[in-house]
Amino acid sequence: MSIICKINGNDTEIQGASDRRVVDVLREDLGLTGTKEGCGAGECGACTILVDGEPRLSCLMMAVQLQDKAVTTIEGIGESEALHPVQEAFVEHGAVQCGFCTPGMVLSAVNLLSLHPEPDRNRIRRALSGNLCRCTGYVKIVDAVEAAARAMAEGSKP
Amino acid sequence: MKQVLLPRSMNDLWAMMHDLPDAAVYAGGTDLLVKMRSGLIPPKDLICLERIQALKGVMVHGDRMVILAGTPLSHLLREPAITRHLPVLAKAITCLGSPLIRNMGTIGGNVCTASPAGDTLAPLYALDARVELASETSVRSLPISRFILGPGQTLLETGEILSAIHVEKPHPEAIQHFEKVGRRNALACSLASMAAILRLSDGGIVMAASLAWGSVGPTVITCLEAADWLIGQPLSMDRLTQAAAIVQKAVCPITDIRATADYRRAVAGNLLLRICEQKMGNP
Amino acid sequence: MTHDIPAVGCPFPRFDARSKVSGAEKYATDEYAPDMLWAGARRAGLAHGRILAVHTNDAESVPGVFRVLTRKDVPGTNRQGIVHKDQPVLAGQKIRHCGEPVALVLAENREALKLALSRIRLDVEPLPGVFDPETALNPGAPMVHAAGNTLLSAVIQKGDAAKAFSDCDVILEDCFEVPFQEHAFLETENGFAQQKPDGSLVMTVSTQAPFRDRMEIGHALGLDFSSIRVISPYLGGGFGGKDGATVQCLLALAAMNANGRPVKMWWDREESFIAGYKRHAARLYYKLGAGADGTLKSLECRLYYDTGAYAHLGGEVLELGMEHAGGPYRIPHVSIQGWCVYTNNPVSGAMRGFGVSQVAFAIEQMMNRLAEKLCMDPLELRLKNALRRGDRNSSGVTLMHSTGIVSCLKTIERHPLWRNRADWKARAGRFKRRGVGVCAVFNAMGYGRGLPDSAIAKVELTQEGRIRVYCGVSDMGQGNASAFVQIAGDMLCQDTGHLELILPDTDRTHPSGSSSAGRTTYTYGNALVRSCLQLKEKLIHRASLVLFLDEPVGLVLLPGRVRHLPSGREVSFSTLAAMLPESDRTAIDQHVMTVASDGNLNASGFILGFPHVLFSYAAHLAGIEIDELTGGVSVRFYLAVTDAGRIINPQGVEQQVQGGVAQGLGYALCEDILLRDGKILNPSLTDYIVPTALDVPDVASLTVETVESTGPFGMKGMGEVGMNGPLPVVAGAVLDAVGVWVKRSPVTAERILEALGLNTGAGRKL
Repeated sequence: MSIICKINGNDTEIQGASDRRVVDVLREDLGLTGTKEGCGAGECGACTILVDGEPRLSCLMMAVQLQDKAVTTIEGIGESEALHPVQEAFVEHGAVQCGFCTPGMVLSAVNLLSLHPEPDRNRIRRALSGNLCRCTGYVKIVDAVEAAARAMAEGSKP
Repeated sequence: MKQVLLPRSMNDLWAMMHDLPDAAVYAGGTDLLVKMRSGLIPPKDLICLERIQALKGVMVHGDRMVILAGTPLSHLLREPAITRHLPVLAKAITCLGSPLIRNMGTIGGNVCTASPAGDTLAPLYALDARVELASETSVRSLPISRFILGPGQTLLETGEILSAIHVEKPHPEAIQHFEKVGRRNALACSLASMAAILRLSDGGIVMAASLAWGSVGPTVITCLEAADWLIGQPLSMDRLTQAAAIVQKAVCPITDIRATADYRRAVAGNLLLRICEQKMGNP
Repeated sequence: MTHDIPAVGCPFPRFDARSKVSGAEKYATDEYAPDMLWAGARRAGLAHGRILAVHTNDAESVPGVFRVLTRKDVPGTNRQGIVHKDQPVLAGQKIRHCGEPVALVLAENREALKLALSRIRLDVEPLPGVFDPETALNPGAPMVHAAGNTLLSAVIQKGDAAKAFSDCDVILEDCFEVPFQEHAFLETENGFAQQKPDGSLVMTVSTQAPFRDRMEIGHALGLDFSSIRVISPYLGGGFGGKDGATVQCLLALAAMNANGRPVKMWWDREESFIAGYKRHAARLYYKLGAGADGTLKSLECRLYYDTGAYAHLGGEVLELGMEHAGGPYRIPHVSIQGWCVYTNNPVSGAMRGFGVSQVAFAIEQMMNRLAEKLCMDPLELRLKNALRRGDRNSSGVTLMHSTGIVSCLKTIERHPLWRNRADWKARAGRFKRRGVGVCAVFNAMGYGRGLPDSAIAKVELTQEGRIRVYCGVSDMGQGNASAFVQIAGDMLCQDTGHLELILPDTDRTHPSGSSSAGRTTYTYGNALVRSCLQLKEKLIHRASLVLFLDEPVGLVLLPGRVRHLPSGREVSFSTLAAMLPESDRTAIDQHVMTVASDGNLNASGFILGFPHVLFSYAAHLAGIEIDELTGGVSVRFYLAVTDAGRIINPQGVEQQVQGGVAQGLGYALCEDILLRDGKILNPSLTDYIVPTALDVPDVASLTVETVESTGPFGMKGMGEVGMNGPLPVVAGAVLDAVGVWVKRSPVTAERILEALGLNTGAGRKL
């Protein structure tokens, strides 16, 4: 079967089984390995993608659910020359250690800031509560999202 | 390879259900797909409800509210009608899973999965919710307490979907309280939960009480005896403590890898005491 | 993008952060090839048994299955292991734990793989299993291995502990239990391998020890280790769980049977639980004696570590636990006995805090109890007994290196969170009880005596005019690779635009030991410092020739060039590189970590590792709130004060502290591998509870900067010590809050509520 969607702004046609998981379509068929898999059961958030701007677990989505949707993966955040303020803040504030949770965290954070441009630390934690991290203890991730929020509000660097 | 179908309308849905009578129906997939992956449910054709707009939204008609079953949980949190009129349900939704799961999972799915630990269930029982079940040719409704028979078992028949949930708005001044106990603060399976809707007179006498507990029985437990104990009396710590003891005898929790029955029983009662914080405030 | 010149001692954003944050960085999981096969192991599913037959016919006939291998297809010894090689690649005769691999399937896709694995049938004669380390030592207990259930038993003695008790005013005895802990890295065990036409293997693996992996694979499969190339990209977490072969031997075996096709093996989360390594569960018996003024006098311990079915690093874990059993305190008389015991539980191995997290709980609880008994402030008691430079520790080792525990404790003593604790506790809300705990912890660095802790660093001026560091040790997220770039950049005055890094690759970088034991920045860093000095001198000398100078004087390195300061003339790195053959553009040097010189130590039974001589220290402070209705424990504030010598990257140290504390809080409050007859009941992230962003508070991190003169720039490794603090500090805070005496972890709401419910007085036990 054939599925038409937009991935990171690009019109994309996906062939193959409708019961393929979206995380596999992204990683294996499209070579977008920035989306990770940590559990396959929706418990860790490493597979987070944005579907029409909303964070979802790609390990629990079937390929057919991509039909007519606009998907953003981590590869679609930021430009080759300039990172998104959230990404920049993650770099500057030490929010990246092993980095495996990072794509999911960034996407959840980008979505949060689009809905709540001035979140307090508790709101940030709630927004990221579905993205597990085993390395950082979350503190610097929260710091980074706070800094990104400030930077985006001011139009400055985080 | 199994088929996964994406109906765009109710008519699409009925036709697909007709063509694939053994297909499993899902909306978010956060329960079904996890169970299929672990082998608890064998591989099946699937029908996904997520594109059917007719199954999404919240409608208010006077005192009645209709929550369409295919509404993702996070969308319900953005509905002013839910947060304003049904804070007991809104609170439960904020405790459910994670933001990602709430973007995908629906209230209809949570009800049909009928886990004893389903987070929306105790509030829906406390609200005396009715479930609307639709098939191609008919619509019927049942109290939720009759719809859910036991863990994972409902009265949903082949060819039917859960289309909506109907509730009456509680009195605007009613206390609506919900608490969930889990092993962590997100992505947690409820060990015990309590939903409470209480109406107090100006003098502080309890005029009505609707109480429901989750995760302490095969289905939600409503313990009318405890509610009756509170009605007609001022809401005091003593009264709540006595009611708690009644609740602890009424619940029938199990011991599993997450908690013992004793713990669940103790907590189910204790959660009642938290209500006095609502009335008396937190120092 | 601006390129800065890194400065040691200043925060340096991770060199790898940009590529990770954009999803561009490739982990081992991200390797795919169009003609690749998937490999997977059939796990036994029962804890103890004799294999009668493995039936693979039904699996072989599944469409898409390429091959099914069993024990008979394994060449070589069929034994993997790090020190002690006792673990079959594919079990042929005996099953010793539920995760025992009995067959290996290669298939065209994962669906065929899963189906084939489910169609493999085992005929097994079940054997009674043993699941407790003390029970396993009883005569008549089921034998896990023919040679007996003791992997290692050892003793450390100092003075005369038994006699010294008669001189004590207070003697306390107790027993503590801690469960298995799961690493739960987000990137599970995985690798990608291909056999070349010449028979050699190329493997990309998520591994903490690529060089040792070759030896392990070679020994297990009868291969010459030099014919195995292992590439180690950034790991998506390791924490010790990827130290030692996980997928490696199975994957190599698969590649050897794939007709030259590439093979991928990626354990799903359940398999990672069932087959991956764990922190040792332990039972710890303590007897502590002190004077009325709180001076510690005597300690007797019996420590039982459950190493599961195979050795992995069990003996070394026990060793380190025994060395730390007395805490960072001065105790003149000790008798520490330890047993590392085989059971039919899952395999225990290395995990951050390596044997120390267990005993830290025990000794710190004994200290809390002692403080309570003597009506002494718990911080004051610790300060009184804390080790100082020049003291002998419990093993008898003289501490001549940096020893900052007193400074750590004093920092806490001065801190407003400690000073205002009474006030803070009094403000607890309805149904809440607050408590404050303090603890002192430490953790040795390096392999210890008997196994040279060494690294070989290589730096190179590339033809493009950049400085390339050939990193010999894996980076599992701790940021050592970035620290190396920082060191090279500072020493050679190069900005990040002129710095490059090659991650470990056994073909290109040099053996530098495992990424473990808090050793990598120290040992590889020391080697790197030497090679940078060498390279700098060489470049200056060669530049002086190019610039026609009479002597190599007055020359400095700047980003991408060399400048002669007196004349202002410069030669670019790329010009210089063009004039030099490759062998003249590189510098290679090594470092071996210093070991303890103390002789006459009274210890027996250890194979290697005893004793250690370099330690990081920390004192932690936490305020908790207990909910009386649910028993739930919430950590309201947390402060860690760490002695890590001089700090190379302050941001890096904070990262390690916060991350270690988060994992430690998991160990303290919610992580528990639940077992019944050796079978894990919660092999998923649904029921193995790891803290989320809503469960870990803001963790404040302060450091006391001692100077570790043997370390690069005065630093020492500190990646593990943060892990050891949370369980003791939470236990101490619980005692303070509700008088409940915690003897086992995790400290769950259920256990607290039960203890509160039984309250008839002070000091109810959990």
